[in-house]
Amino acid sequence: MPDSAPTKTVNLPGNHACALGAIAAGCRFYAGYPITPSSEVAERMSVELPRVDGVFIQMEDEVASMGAILGASMGGMKVMTATSGPGFSLKQENIGYAAGAEIPCVIVNVMRGGPSTGLPTRPAQADVMQARWGTHGDHPIVVITPDSVPEIYAQTIRAFNLSEQLRVPVVMLYDEALGHLIEQVSLSGSGDIEIANRKWAADPKPEFQPYASGDDLIPEMVRPGDGFRTHTTGLTHAENGFPTQDPELVDQYMRRILDKLEIHNALIESFEAIDTEDADYLVVAFGITARAARRAIKQAREQGVRVGMFRPITLWPFPVAAFESIVGGKHGVLIAEMNAGQLITEIERYRPAGCRVDGLNRIDGETITPRQILNSLRELADNE
Amino acid sequence: MPDFEVRISGSGGQGILLAGRILADALGHEALNVAQSQSYEPTSRGGLSRADLVASDARVDYPLASDLDYLVILDDIAATASNDLLRQDSLVVVDSPLAELCELNGHEVRYLPISETARALGDLRSTNMVALGALTSLAGFCSQDKLLAAVTRVAPAKLHAAATRAILKGYAITEF
Amino acid sequence: MNEAGKQFNIRDYLREYLFPHFLCPGCGHGIALRALLWAIDELDIDKDRLAFVSGIGCSGRLGAYIDANTFHVTHGRPLAFATGLKLARPDLEVIVITGDGDCLAIGGNHLIHACRRNLNITCMMLNNEVYGMTGGQVSPTTSSERYTTTTPYGNHEPVFDACALAEAAGAGMVGREITLQTPGLKDVLRQGLAHEGFSFIEVMSDCTEVFGRKNDLGSSAEMVLTQKASVRPDFLEDAVDQPFRPHQIKTGVLAKNDRPEYAESWRRHIEAMKRERGHA
Repeated sequence: MPDSAPTKTVNLPGNHACALGAIAAGCRFYAGYPITPSSEVAERMSVELPRVDGVFIQMEDEVASMGAILGASMGGMKVMTATSGPGFSLKQENIGYAAGAEIPCVIVNVMRGGPSTGLPTRPAQADVMQARWGTHGDHPIVVITPDSVPEIYAQTIRAFNLSEQLRVPVVMLYDEALGHLIEQVSLSGSGDIEIANRKWAADPKPEFQPYASGDDLIPEMVRPGDGFRTHTTGLTHAENGFPTQDPELVDQYMRRILDKLEIHNALIESFEAIDTEDADYLVVAFGITARAARRAIKQAREQGVRVGMFRPITLWPFPVAAFESIVGGKHGVLIAEMNAGQLITEIERYRPAGCRVDGLNRIDGETITPRQILNSLRELADNE
Repeated sequence: MPDFEVRISGSGGQGILLAGRILADALGHEALNVAQSQSYEPTSRGGLSRADLVASDARVDYPLASDLDYLVILDDIAATASNDLLRQDSLVVVDSPLAELCELNGHEVRYLPISETARALGDLRSTNMVALGALTSLAGFCSQDKLLAAVTRVAPAKLHAAATRAILKGYAITEF
Repeated sequence: MNEAGKQFNIRDYLREYLFPHFLCPGCGHGIALRALLWAIDELDIDKDRLAFVSGIGCSGRLGAYIDANTFHVTHGRPLAFATGLKLARPDLEVIVITGDGDCLAIGGNHLIHACRRNLNITCMMLNNEVYGMTGGQVSPTTSSERYTTTTPYGNHEPVFDACALAEAAGAGMVGREITLQTPGLKDVLRQGLAHEGFSFIEVMSDCTEVFGRKNDLGSSAEMVLTQKASVRPDFLEDAVDQPFRPHQIKTGVLAKNDRPEYAESWRRHIEAMKRERGHA
């Protein structure tokens, strides 16, 4: 995209908006493996990347594509891969490596029905917990869940910014319905986009410690060839980058990689609250289900039930403070999600005393409709 | 204009998705927000194919079809597939040879010689464009100019002339 | 003596502050590392441009001791990581150090496709016939009838010929050598480093500690002498009077081709496309 590119509005499917968001954010390396319903992300990247002197490669499998983006990221590029269900499972090993070695990368998971091969062409929202805890061990990860095609574009840019600034893998989590939904998107002119880059270490002194950090808990990255000659490992490592089992150093490392998200929560947290102030009831929903909730809360209010919506945009870390401030005093909360009840477990942790929590769950490969949410809201209000 | 939902349905290979994309582009130029979704299965040869549009002058809330205002049926495989989404006052446009297969009691139904018109134009493959012209003529959700302009933006150049002709024929068959 | 006229000193390439190293006495891996660094020294490659990518296992731990850009990645995935690194940074000399388990078992798919793509990476696979780091389990290259901690009744699986696989999959250069022939190993590695394309070099290493002992193979010296008797160096290929036995393992440079290197041919392809469509 030339520097002078003006803003223009186009009709795009969600998966293409994701690819264009990545390019706008500065992504110049994509490795992937075909999988329904995410393949259009790869297809669009294969068109766009050569035009901006970037690299596209279709790797031999999901594991390799995740490995390749980490190699390219350590080489200095902004990187992305996209996948779905089974592929997301296969990528978890190297997502853990990215979390532990603090390698910036964006992973797109276009959710389809599971478990296993499941429903390749049907939407689901059943990877909520896998996105948070898919790889083993305590680890930092950020998960973003847009609810429209324009938001896929904008949040993909933000995913890159967060990943680069925090040295953390960021997952773009949306469902098949949004991946293939076509909506109007305003593609920002390149001057209008806020871009954040990783911090590069500049001074290769012999005593340089690649995993030492200041108060922000984020170590500077080293670019191969700049004279640092450092070591990167998935083993638990000390500030010098080399493996350690010293309990004190292990504890220091673990707390730093986990705490860094906590201290940067203001940057990470994002949510939308609609009509929550005077509401007696809240719907909590994300992705395509939030779109159904948008209509349902309007209809409920027309019927005299005062309902608002809390929509996490950053799904993990869950926007706890924002949710707690909004849920206080509500009579009931309805969590609508296309899974058997995943986000509800998080919501129940923050349920105020006396607030009823209901789940509306759909696990048949179909989206939750506004009517279903409306009915569940009426039930919540009637049974209170 | 209040929010409305349109579904064009037929079988894979009939150009259903192209018709949907042209209509969405035209409605976008009527300053409407439009969300498009479609069947996502390997339907390029046979099988139910559908293009859904949800349009609103505000932001589209739920972007998937749930309550159709307009339905077009162009193949027997689509004859009854969308009945659950119809209301009594939905406008349904049906290619007339399919009349017997549809179960549309009480709806506002227009049986039109859509495929026959396309065949008379010398190309059965323009059925989708005849249908698009007929639907737009009856629904009036966008001007003819905007629809024809959308063709030049969305359809491949080699189809422009034939598509324009077929759309105009579609308008014509609604006018009696 | 390298091209700059300097005598090779392995200490110039090591992070000695990490010593003592983790290798067992008698392990062949250290000799392989020496040969690799010697070849690098002869080619006079700038250390800042060197990137070593290794996986998991005894082979994977070697990278940490090299004073260069070193990446110790997940099990079996060093070739995948290296593919991304090399494509992002063609200016780096990317070298993969892997083992028979890392490269042929869990990472086998990546090896096949790395050979097929022919990206300019040098892959040194240390074959010690066993999973040493995890305590001596059977690997795809464990010889027939050998005892390991997971073949208590003797190994009954056939041995994987990694070089034949690499050649068939299209690797630009394929070589094999034993550690006893250190200068010869250095020469094969040097050819691999110099080759524009994917080079696969199998080093026949030895694991005295958890493999040799369990199979009464004697000391490390005895193990490498047994290896020496089992191989047929390529420079003897034409010596018709040598009574070679058919099961002898070939060493030296086993295959070489001039298939186009992946990154370079891709770059040319895209540039041609841009010229054609007027994007340039």
